[in-house]
Amino acid sequence: MAAMTSVEPAGPANAQPPRRRPKRTRLPYVLLIPAVAVLGLGLGYPLVRQVVMSFQEFGLAQQFGQAPVWVGLDNYVALLTDSYLWAVVVRSIVFCLACAFLTMAVGVGMAVLMTRMAGWARVVVQVVLLLVWAMPWMASLTVWQWLIDSQYGVVNWVLVRLGLDQFAGHSWLINPISFFAVAGLIVVWMSVPFVAFTVYAGLTQVPHEMLEAAQIDGANGWNRFWQIIVPMIRPILLIVGLLQVIWDLKVFTQIFTLQEAGGVTADTNLLGTYIYRLGLGQGDFGTASAVAMFMLLLTVAITFFYVRRMLRDEEEL
Amino acid sequence: MKRASFLAVGIAAALVLAACGEDDDSEPSAGDAGSTPEPADIRVWLTPDTIPVIGDYLKTTFEEQNSGSTLTIEEQPWEGLVDRVTTATTSESDTPDVVELGNTQASSFTFAGAFTDLSDMKEDLGGDDLLSGLVTSGTADDKLYAAPYYAGSRVVFYRKDLLAAAGLEVPTTMDEFVETATALKSANPEGVDGFSGYWLPGQDWRNGQALFWDAGGDWALQEGDAWVNKVDTPEGIAGLQRVQEIFTNASGAPKDGNEADPVTPYCAGQVGMFSAPPWVVGQLTDGIIDPATQEVTAPGCPALTTPEILGTFTLPGSDGQAAPVMLGGSNVGVPATSQNQELAKDVIEIMLSDEFQTMFAKQGMLPAKSSLSDQLPQNEANAALGPTLETGKVTPPAPAWGSAVEGGRVLEDLFVNIANGGDVEQLAADTGAQLDELLN
Repeated sequence: MAAMTSVEPAGPANAQPPRRRPKRTRLPYVLLIPAVAVLGLGLGYPLVRQVVMSFQEFGLAQQFGQAPVWVGLDNYVALLTDSYLWAVVVRSIVFCLACAFLTMAVGVGMAVLMTRMAGWARVVVQVVLLLVWAMPWMASLTVWQWLIDSQYGVVNWVLVRLGLDQFAGHSWLINPISFFAVAGLIVVWMSVPFVAFTVYAGLTQVPHEMLEAAQIDGANGWNRFWQIIVPMIRPILLIVGLLQVIWDLKVFTQIFTLQEAGGVTADTNLLGTYIYRLGLGQGDFGTASAVAMFMLLLTVAITFFYVRRMLRDEEEL
Repeated sequence: MKRASFLAVGIAAALVLAACGEDDDSEPSAGDAGSTPEPADIRVWLTPDTIPVIGDYLKTTFEEQNSGSTLTIEEQPWEGLVDRVTTATTSESDTPDVVELGNTQASSFTFAGAFTDLSDMKEDLGGDDLLSGLVTSGTADDKLYAAPYYAGSRVVFYRKDLLAAAGLEVPTTMDEFVETATALKSANPEGVDGFSGYWLPGQDWRNGQALFWDAGGDWALQEGDAWVNKVDTPEGIAGLQRVQEIFTNASGAPKDGNEADPVTPYCAGQVGMFSAPPWVVGQLTDGIIDPATQEVTAPGCPALTTPEILGTFTLPGSDGQAAPVMLGGSNVGVPATSQNQELAKDVIEIMLSDEFQTMFAKQGMLPAKSSLSDQLPQNEANAALGPTLETGKVTPPAPAWGSAVEGGRVLEDLFVNIANGGDVEQLAADTGAQLDELLN
């Protein structure tokens, strides 16, 4: 109270009412501190450690306390001249884009389908999607492994019953193309619910009248979808698509689990599993950090145009 | 003067304490280092093989001897063990207090300084009585970092009824063995789908390498300061071709599968012969049991494990002697980051006590002390085991073997590629070059 009153008196001697200047307050910055601190601790520290380690020879002995040796750019030079890294990079990008595209196509398709369903059918579909989304990864991966098991898997059993005898004992993981087809199927299956739900939520916001008006003007379903619905939910599609690209580039669990189940590790490594095998598997943390830095730059490069476009869209709104 | 008397007091105190320590074993081993360790929950990482045998005994004995402390066994599958130990033991808050590692994996960690030096306990643990092979795998720079835990060797199990039905005899040389396995597969007396004359899943280099070694191949030998691969040699290639012959003509196991569960295919009648340590008989009879939940994860088949049906022989080598099968085994160490060093060392002491090790012997596992090997039960499987102890081999004791080669799944990849019909000469050249790079 005392402070308040002491501010009030003895304004400038002119008669004009004092103009209220918007008071600059520090509160917003104070409120930002926890978030920044959490980010700094959770992301910043590991990132700095990773950058530092990528310039060091950092092996198991260093993990247990020996001083690391600075090697400058050696890790990077060794990597960039290693054809294996490039094979892994190409593999990862192709796998990521294929999975992200398929997930978006199926997910948006499901969302549109849901808007056309009878109420009870929609509930059934939503419950199923939710179960897929909620199932722990390891649990569903175990079931997938059993499905495609070469000797006792139900997939081969059904195929053989259908008269395709060449599938008796067929291994779905030993050929890299087939391995990635299975892995892609699992990744898409796991990510579709997220896309479907998010896009469905967006679709419910598209005004009915507009679609009706377009229909009266003679626009068919295809035209209404591409020229009205898609532009209206474009921000949602962009952000969901972006997340899919990022997630599918750093895919790990599905690949790792399938590698243990079968398949040739060296032929099926993607960036995520390659970093893991180098670092935790072989104890070469320096090189693994360098690959991780490379992967970070790659993610930024792939998503750069996407993010820029998204930001521009936001400004226009 | 002052210093001298101080020293005298110190020595006297040390003697008193030492006397206390020797005093007797029923006392809680508190007096050991002169201070009572804080009671704690000791976490022990063991692989599935030994838990059914000694799990309960270890827990009760430890908790009796260290009142207030508890012991928790955390089962760790062999798959990915190196990765998990690497991650966990670097963190004071996450590290287990005692870790079991395969003998081929231990060297990477002992040389990296992951474990506490146990040299001063070595005499108490058994000294020269400890199996020398396992002492070597747990030793770095002349210090013992990981104590021997138990050893294992492999014998061939076979279905007597199927061999008889196919008119085949137990083979006595490597050539005969390959012929028998091939003939048994094509005979497939019971007409079972996916039948194996000799069951060898694609990733199973641990059993498959006996054929490679028998032909004179070697993964790598130390020449001077460097490790030089012996895969890309005429003998090595011949050995791997023999492995491919088995994969193609004798095995019906998945070409990219692993060897973790022989019970399911055996009980499905799909296996004519397969290699395993003797204690696998227990699993074949009772099934694979999850020690945490006591649930049977793969049911056994007592009807197929009677002495009339299940037989054992020593894998024969080309020279008619036993073939060089892999001498396996485990070491146990105390991670340097563990906050309960004293209690963890107590666990190691229990593990190497005669009583504990005898329990291994009774199950057909080779105890870590040679003096206890006469405790092995007299049966066919253990009789077949004997010759392998002389001819058995270990993987190269290079520091990088456990992490770089096993952690990188180099040999799993090699064997899957061979099983899949790959060009052996090319694969041998590639793998050889890879080993040269990784081991040096």
